[in-house]
Amino acid sequence: MNKTIEKSFISVPTYVVDDDESVRDSLAFMLDSYDLNVTTYTGGQVFLDNADIMQPGCVILDSRMPELRGQDVHAILSRCHSPLSIIYLTGHGDISMAVHALKSGAVDFFQKPVDGEKLVQAISIAAKKSIQRSEQLKALLSYQSLTDRERAILLLLIKGKRNQQIADDLCIAVRTVEVHRSSLMKKFNAKTIAELVLQYGMVVN
Amino acid sequence: MSCRNNIGHILIRLITSLFLLVSSNVNANVMNNPDKVNDKIEAMIVDVGVLATRGVLEAKQRWQPTLIWLQEQIPNSEFRLHPYTLAEMETAVQQQRVDILVTNPGQAVRLGRQYPLSWLATLNSQLGDGTHVIGSALIVRADSHYQHLVDVSGDKIAAVASNAFGGYLTMLLAVQNQGINPTAFFSDVSFLGFPVDAIIYQLRDGYFDAAVVPVCQLESMLEEGLIVESAFRVLNNISPSDFTCAVSTRLYPNWSIAKTTAISATLAKKITRALFALPANHPASIAAHSTGWIPPISQLSVDQLYRDLDIHPLQRPLWQEAVVWIKKNQQWAWVVFLFVLLLSVYHLILEYRFSRSERVLKATLNRLKEKNAMLEHAQRVAIVGELGSSLAHEINQPLTAILNYSQGGLLRIKKGAATTDIVPVLEKIQQQVKRADDIVQRLRTLINKRTVAKSSCDIETLISDTLELVEYDFHQKNITVNRVCLGNTVILNADIVGLQQALLNILNNAADACLMRKLPQSIDNEIKIKSQYTADKLTLTLTDNGVGLTAANAELQNAFFTTKKDGLGLGLAICRDVIDAHHGQFTLTPADPVGCCVTITLPLTHTV
Repeated sequence: MNKTIEKSFISVPTYVVDDDESVRDSLAFMLDSYDLNVTTYTGGQVFLDNADIMQPGCVILDSRMPELRGQDVHAILSRCHSPLSIIYLTGHGDISMAVHALKSGAVDFFQKPVDGEKLVQAISIAAKKSIQRSEQLKALLSYQSLTDRERAILLLLIKGKRNQQIADDLCIAVRTVEVHRSSLMKKFNAKTIAELVLQYGMVVN
Repeated sequence: MSCRNNIGHILIRLITSLFLLVSSNVNANVMNNPDKVNDKIEAMIVDVGVLATRGVLEAKQRWQPTLIWLQEQIPNSEFRLHPYTLAEMETAVQQQRVDILVTNPGQAVRLGRQYPLSWLATLNSQLGDGTHVIGSALIVRADSHYQHLVDVSGDKIAAVASNAFGGYLTMLLAVQNQGINPTAFFSDVSFLGFPVDAIIYQLRDGYFDAAVVPVCQLESMLEEGLIVESAFRVLNNISPSDFTCAVSTRLYPNWSIAKTTAISATLAKKITRALFALPANHPASIAAHSTGWIPPISQLSVDQLYRDLDIHPLQRPLWQEAVVWIKKNQQWAWVVFLFVLLLSVYHLILEYRFSRSERVLKATLNRLKEKNAMLEHAQRVAIVGELGSSLAHEINQPLTAILNYSQGGLLRIKKGAATTDIVPVLEKIQQQVKRADDIVQRLRTLINKRTVAKSSCDIETLISDTLELVEYDFHQKNITVNRVCLGNTVILNADIVGLQQALLNILNNAADACLMRKLPQSIDNEIKIKSQYTADKLTLTLTDNGVGLTAANAELQNAFFTTKKDGLGLGLAICRDVIDAHHGQFTLTPADPVGCCVTITLPLTHTV
């Protein structure tokens, strides 16, 4: 089954973390044939230290590695609220490991040797999810940076109220509303109310 | 020698004194009925038996004068002299051919305790105290090396007779009392009988080393000039100061005269009176080497001798004594019997308890064996599991790489990459193959196949031992094993451990097959083992009536192929390896109607 991969997702980096050199090298080679942007790391710590884990992307994790296990890397990424999507690719695994991984939020779980096509399909899905997640995280961050007043105004804005109505509801001057509104729009990086609503929707989910 | 208990001793005394009482009673009874017939008319003939220790002639010379005196003193009497040996005297008394007897105390007591005799008088001697003058002297040649009694022990000794008093028995007791083993002392003794003179002559002439003779025999012969004094010595001479003869033993009472029941009380009184009236210096006294007669003295010492030698005529054999004692002490006998009974019962109880604990032990042992087998199996499974998982993981890495490289390469070719670009990919693939090969090699050395050691192996014993291992388990599973052995058993040179492993595997497979068979349930699970020896090979056939073969033959013998839930699939592979190491053959065929037949052929040539 030969699906064409959309070019827009190529931009999202793919990370390969495996302590075995030939696996790293061959995986990179193969994924490169699919025009993916691949970076390899020899272990969990090296990856965490050098990759930008707050940007969307896809991580292909081996389970059994010296120093940091795949599951440990996964846990750290979760703790840091990383938008990265995790795909496990392990030489030995059992049902309980797979279930645990998926429950912890991994996108997929493969056993070596893995069929290239299937892996790339999974990466594509994972990339999409990662971008989504990234945007979600951004929106959340933005929301958390709002002041109380800004939050109140945001809520009223979502309802579709105009500045004057908001001023009346909150018993503040219109000018104040305008200032807050512009500030919160900037924080959310939204140009239109529609975008704001979209982002807010992501926060609420 | 004599180990009489006090009870027996008292018994003897009791009976001896009882008897004496009875005999005197008899006497009294007879006295109440005087026999008038013999008194008056006819000449009474009295047969007198005398012991002729030194021969008939000497006996006549010694005793005839006394009998003449008696005839003179008692009117109408005729005393006939009969010289006897010890045996003849006894027979005469038994056959009641003598009325009066004159004999030594030894025989007197013996006869007196068996036949109804009563003593009339004891001879009074010139020697010693007159009454105790009987004993033995142990004589040796003067030039011999003997100094003490014990020196003679075991050497050639001559004596009178085994029942001779002065001529043996007193010596026997003396030896015993000195603590010397009498049987050892007299181990080479010869009894020469009467006359006693002959014994001295034989000693002198060297036929014997020592002689036991009645006391004063030596002195009498010296007096008569028959022998030379310096030629002989007497050992252990304990003669009292007033006793002129040499004697090696203590002294016993002198000869006595006794009457049988044939003599009436009246006649007895006359005889006795005549004897007491005989003066000390009368020719008859002198002829008899005496100073007359005195009332009969106690024969107790003689009785004691017989008792001490365990040969008293009235003593009962040991078993009779025991029976009497038991009857007397019945309660103790019962106690002993009860005790023995209780002990037996206790013993039986112990036996039962022992056999019960034995059974429990056996059961425990079987359980242990079973657990041991399970443990070993679990261990093996764990090891194989670990090996397997390690292998799987290790091999996966190069396999993954190969797949990735080849898939990537294919993709690039489709996109139009140049051949030269693909070459390094293929090379990388080759490297990965080599890597996989290295892993396999490493694992192979790790597994380190057991060095096969071959030794003399009796297949029949091996089969028996293996069956023993599974005995308990098969019993639990209701599987019976039938064995047949055809041909002449041959000892093979084989890998015992390996063969046993193979056998175990096959047996376990057969058992599992039997258990897996669903129907019909009515068939009894059975495994048949047949070992057939021919000139050049051994054919071992194991047939079960289990579920049979469900897979193709080739697939069966692949490693890791199993039809069992928890199987490893290595059993048959191991069997194959072992049989191959013996250059044998291993085949599986279906059995009729159900089941599987395993055939193993092993060559019997000695080049293996």
